Amino acid sequence: MALQSEITTRPVVEPDRPAEDLVIETRDLTKRYGDLVAVDRLTLRVRRGEVYGFLGPNGAGKTTTLRMLLGLVRPSSGRASVLGDAPGSSNGLARTGAMIESAALYPFLSGRDNLRVLARHAGAPEDRIEPALAEVDLSDRAGDRFSSYSQGMKQRLGVAAALLKDPELLILDEPTNGLDPAGMAEMRSFIRSLGRGRRTVLLSSHLMTEVEQICDRVGVIRNGKLVGEGTVDELRGRAGLRVRAEPLESAERVVAALDFVESASTTDGALRITTDPAFAPSINRALVRAGVDVIELTSERASLEEVFLELTGNGRDQS
Amino acid sequence: MTNSVIAEILVLRKRASTWILLATWTALSLFFSYVLPYVEARSITELLPEGLAGTLVRGFPFFGGVFALMLGVLAAGSDYSWDTVKTLFTQGPGRLRVLSAKLMALASILVLFVVSVAVTSAVASYVVAQVENASLDWPSAWLLIRTLGAGWFVLLVWGALGVMLAVLSRGTSLAIGIGILYALVIEGLLSALASQLDAFENVSEFFLRTNSYSLANALGASTETIADSGPGAFAGPYVSSGQALLVLAAYVVCFVLAAAVALRRRDVS
Repeated sequence: MALQSEITTRPVVEPDRPAEDLVIETRDLTKRYGDLVAVDRLTLRVRRGEVYGFLGPNGAGKTTTLRMLLGLVRPSSGRASVLGDAPGSSNGLARTGAMIESAALYPFLSGRDNLRVLARHAGAPEDRIEPALAEVDLSDRAGDRFSSYSQGMKQRLGVAAALLKDPELLILDEPTNGLDPAGMAEMRSFIRSLGRGRRTVLLSSHLMTEVEQICDRVGVIRNGKLVGEGTVDELRGRAGLRVRAEPLESAERVVAALDFVESASTTDGALRITTDPAFAPSINRALVRAGVDVIELTSERASLEEVFLELTGNGRDQS
Repeated sequence: MTNSVIAEILVLRKRASTWILLATWTALSLFFSYVLPYVEARSITELLPEGLAGTLVRGFPFFGGVFALMLGVLAAGSDYSWDTVKTLFTQGPGRLRVLSAKLMALASILVLFVVSVAVTSAVASYVVAQVENASLDWPSAWLLIRTLGAGWFVLLVWGALGVMLAVLSRGTSLAIGIGILYALVIEGLLSALASQLDAFENVSEFFLRTNSYSLANALGASTETIADSGPGAFAGPYVSSGQALLVLAAYVVCFVLAAAVALRRRDVS
């Protein structure tokens, strides 16, 4: 059922003409609930074959965005395209696997029967069920009721369900929720392996390490708005050097005169230098030759967490 | 579509509450249609094989209807409770196809409800005939087929009402509450008023119970027994079987349309 056909009084959501390598493209996508703007003119581009991290604090609008991309929630305005089709279209959903928030399956059915039900609805061949169970390491417990599974097993079955259609696009919302550290590491490695090749993964999370380790590119959302986007390296910015020296004024003067130093400033009793960290030995030599005592010289770079906190206002959403 | 229907039948088939409802409905039907009347020494003719069609069909309009309503609510409403609605809608078959599959699966399981009560009733009437040394005059096959068909259709109407209430209320508790309130209180009270006030008589001709019991009456259920059948008792007015069929069919269409529109337009959040 195409979303376009459902909308009569609201602004029409039409598939954009997708650029060749874009699997998801939204433009000014907005969702309002009364006065609350859950997603605010969001423009997002996810390229084919990448693992895209959708990062934001709780309540930032991540899940609402993903629900709009899957046709579960109708946008108030804006445009969106998923695999070249309108969100929620049968054609698009046939090539998309998803797990939103947590694995929602029938508690009284076994893991295998749950996948059987979903495969039937999706028109996926039943011979994909056993490989999907094996892929998430649940073959041994496939005959047990879903309600008897641990949280980690439930999440894994949810991922298996998302893989049944052998989808081109995988949308995973907080897939490591409720997992223990070992389970989280396993899930990360699994998602990374899923993202290899032509499959695209859109991963929503609020866990920095998860996104840092898995994702090729990251979008940061706050109050429904995209406030930052790029590779993890791009977001973290350029590395620099931090020097503690005596006297600090002399050190700043010496360093500022070096050709390869872009800038140098004193903050919190230390000299912060914008330059390639590979120049650390040269800087050290220059300072020593100038009679400056070098107490400490370290390479420093903003962590993704620091960038995230800066972009999202200490990680607390205002909505 | 066939695949989706098979999937939904699997869900209903593997669910304990389906079998609990079936067992309860069969046991209560046996008790109120055969055991209690036999103990109270009511008219034995209705309990013999020759009265099977009438005795069987009068249990569907209200008693069976409430069970079908609950099954319909559970078939559609539990997906909201478990949040499986979002899982189903992201599989790609389309929301209306999922709804159609649920309705067809429900209709299939209701056949089992009809057959179960029919077999139990037939066995009970056979036992009564043996105990009373009465003759084994079974109703004609055609009458039995029409009886079973009418029973299934009445259950389907109530089941569709359950599906609609579940979709509108996005859950099970409120839907079952409203459904039973409607069946017991609203139709019951207004039907009682219909016998006293002419204005209500016309309205009551369009009630579920009026048309369901009219269908049952046309297939041999006696008006006296229907008027003396506990909480679902009905004292008329009766309408023709043709009108009853048309009104009930209109109800099914309205319930399904209302559920489809709500399901299609609403956000799943």
